[in-house]
Amino acid sequence: MDYIYSILTLTGITMIGVMGTYMVTGLTGQFSFGQAAFMAVGGYVSAMLALKFNVPFVFAALAGAAAATLSGLLVGLPTVRLRRDYISLVTFGFGEAIISVLNNSAQLTGGAEGLVGIPKRVDLPLVAISVACCIFVVACYKNSKYGRQCLALRTDELAARSMGIDVNRLKLVTFLFASAITGYAGVLYAFYAQYLEPGYFNWTISAEWLIIVFVGGINSLTGALVSAAILTSLPEMLRFASAWRIIIYCVIVLLIINFRPNGIFGDWEINRLWKKKNNEKQRTPGKGAQA
Amino acid sequence: MSSGLLDVSGISKAFGGVHAVDEFSFTANPGEIVGIIGPNGAGKTTVFNLVTGVYVPDRGSVVLDGVTLSGKRQDEIARQGIGRTFQNIRLFKGLNVIENVMTASDPSAPYDFLSAILALPKKRAADRAAAEKARDYLSLVGLSGIEEARPEALPYGLQRKLELARALALQPKVILLDEPAAGLNPSEVRDFIDLVLRLHERFNFTIVFIEHRMEVVMNLSHKLYVLSFGKLLASGEPETVRRNPEVIEAYIGEED
Amino acid sequence: MLQNIFFGLSLGAVYSLIAVGFALVFNILKFSNFSHGGVMSFTAYAGYFAYIKFFDGKVSGSLMFIAIVSTAAAVGAITAVAIERVGFRRLRRNNAPVIYYFISSITLGILLENIVTIFASSNFYSYPMFFSANNITLFGTTFSVADVVTLLFSSCALIVLLFVLYRSKLGLGVRTVSFDVNTASLMGIDANRVVMATFAMSGALGGISGVFLGMNYSLYPQLGQLVVKGFIASVIGGLGSITGAVIGALLLGIVEVALIGVVGSGWMPACVFVIMLVFLLLRPRGIAGVIVQEKA
Repeated sequence: MDYIYSILTLTGITMIGVMGTYMVTGLTGQFSFGQAAFMAVGGYVSAMLALKFNVPFVFAALAGAAAATLSGLLVGLPTVRLRRDYISLVTFGFGEAIISVLNNSAQLTGGAEGLVGIPKRVDLPLVAISVACCIFVVACYKNSKYGRQCLALRTDELAARSMGIDVNRLKLVTFLFASAITGYAGVLYAFYAQYLEPGYFNWTISAEWLIIVFVGGINSLTGALVSAAILTSLPEMLRFASAWRIIIYCVIVLLIINFRPNGIFGDWEINRLWKKKNNEKQRTPGKGAQA
Repeated sequence: MSSGLLDVSGISKAFGGVHAVDEFSFTANPGEIVGIIGPNGAGKTTVFNLVTGVYVPDRGSVVLDGVTLSGKRQDEIARQGIGRTFQNIRLFKGLNVIENVMTASDPSAPYDFLSAILALPKKRAADRAAAEKARDYLSLVGLSGIEEARPEALPYGLQRKLELARALALQPKVILLDEPAAGLNPSEVRDFIDLVLRLHERFNFTIVFIEHRMEVVMNLSHKLYVLSFGKLLASGEPETVRRNPEVIEAYIGEED
Repeated sequence: MLQNIFFGLSLGAVYSLIAVGFALVFNILKFSNFSHGGVMSFTAYAGYFAYIKFFDGKVSGSLMFIAIVSTAAAVGAITAVAIERVGFRRLRRNNAPVIYYFISSITLGILLENIVTIFASSNFYSYPMFFSANNITLFGTTFSVADVVTLLFSSCALIVLLFVLYRSKLGLGVRTVSFDVNTASLMGIDANRVVMATFAMSGALGGISGVFLGMNYSLYPQLGQLVVKGFIASVIGGLGSITGAVIGALLLGIVEVALIGVVGSGWMPACVFVIMLVFLLLRPRGIAGVIVQEKA
């Protein structure tokens, strides 16, 4: 039972991180190889505050998310102006830079040996509620002017600008929102696993999240979540050794790219199930101008 | 106060050693329909790109109702009241038909980040209004009933209409149409001309368009400008321009 | 000081092999081929196992070095061509947006890296000493034989490549396709073959650089992540320019050596990152590259 709990908890935390990646890559088309670094920032800052300054969990968590958002600003400001190819490099570099900073600050962070003794404040219920809240705000974001403008600029930046869309500002806002959420995922992880190590947050984690979003379908939040749930929990439950699990991920992705490039879910969202009924209720016949 | 007075004077743009546009000027008075024609490669789309801010002119200025546009960012220029369609249709493939048109209202939508992520009533009301407005524009161009369709699934003629609806939804003062009839069959072209005339009568915006199809050019424009190798070759009433020997030569080439 | 510069150049020479391999694919398919790193890891190990199985005891010294490098280059070429077939051929046929090439290439890179992990486990292997541990002394400074050979060999490989690109029919095909795939086909150039050939060249370079990295750093599965150096060098030199990639790589090598001296190897990655970021903001097209602005 304990084991299932831990898998569910870790899956939930991953889902939150994946939602950040979904927003940055799925919604705005920016290929960020450094999302995991925001998780590291959130986790480490909140953990250190709790450990060294006895800051209560709630404030440490807020501080962690805030710190992650701040680093999102630092990375985002230059990044949103760059060409697509450069974004992956810069975010990758940022991720590696963060890891090397964490590794080299042994005094503060425990260095490569890790930060131990973080108090346990996070358990499955909190994670479940967090996941639900994050899904709500991210889905609302997607269904708002922000989401639409992001998808517009993702598919055609030039046309988006011609519609008056402030492309750079939108990319930045989305990036900040994503880093806040990912930072929060880091906080949850830190106070659950009670141990942090810089090596946990390297670019392969970011790459895995990217792959998860793609398998689900970059246009679909539902797809990203389902894909995260399956690709995280299944291998854990089947006790694959990590290299084999990754190889299977890769083969799945290659199959999907070749044969179902829109991802498993394409652009299907779960709210289509109940949206249709609402639409029929709302519209009254006879409305709308005649040409 | 005049609305939709577009004054372009002396714009030039060179790429490397090639002068794509050389000291070109034109004026579109409020409510006028102006055509820009010329042989392929004459620089017509470059002119549009200069007006809308895709490129910054090397020289010259673009002024709309007294406000200087040249040098501003592309999205700022759009918000000042310039709408545009493209030679190669540029619809947003990640969005469905109605969402494409709603993007016109989004930059100025009256709700903020917090309202958006919490789906507050203000946001929901604003989005409903934007959707209604989008439906109105869709029905204006004759595209009712297909709101949830994906743009890439539409036949070519309907895609063109969608792009038009999207630009219209910006409620621009000036609308730039880049070869809007390209790829349309003759009956579609006739429908298109009717549609533009109807819309123009209703909204009275200024239209500047680039076209090759003489039917469109002759039936729509109040005024014509002819561009060749980036330079102004002739301008004036359509009938006069059509008979101008230099214009004929530019299109067809010299007689042997 | 001279020694540091030389060491930086030698390192930069290896980076330039990586960068050029990277740039070749960027030129024709217009995306950053992250699988290059996987190819590097894979071929480095392939070279090692070739040594164990076939060459140990039969040849020695510099002859063995040439044997291993050739094997690695061949394996690299074959692997790269296979990658192109599996990962990118269909995407080209379907005119997929760039983002899919990205994902496909990352996935293949990770796949290769993990295949290596499985077969080699996480043990550290190391290449044997190919050359005597002697040093050469010139101008009052000492250089190790290995570094000299690295520099010379890399330069030769690059010269051969440039020769192929600019003086051979195949090279003409490559350069044409990098301008416009469709037009090239219309002119009778078989785009598929050109793409395969480019990948083969890129893979061969990857193989050679894999061996050099293995020599310098010892072998471990994540070796391929050094492809980032190639990416950085390409970016600094200007994405799309081969000569730019070489210049960028040499600069990177020298800067890295200098930085290690100043801030230590722990902080070096962070500093390189900052330098690169500043560079990108000030001169996004790189040293020699050309930015193609999108037209409406």
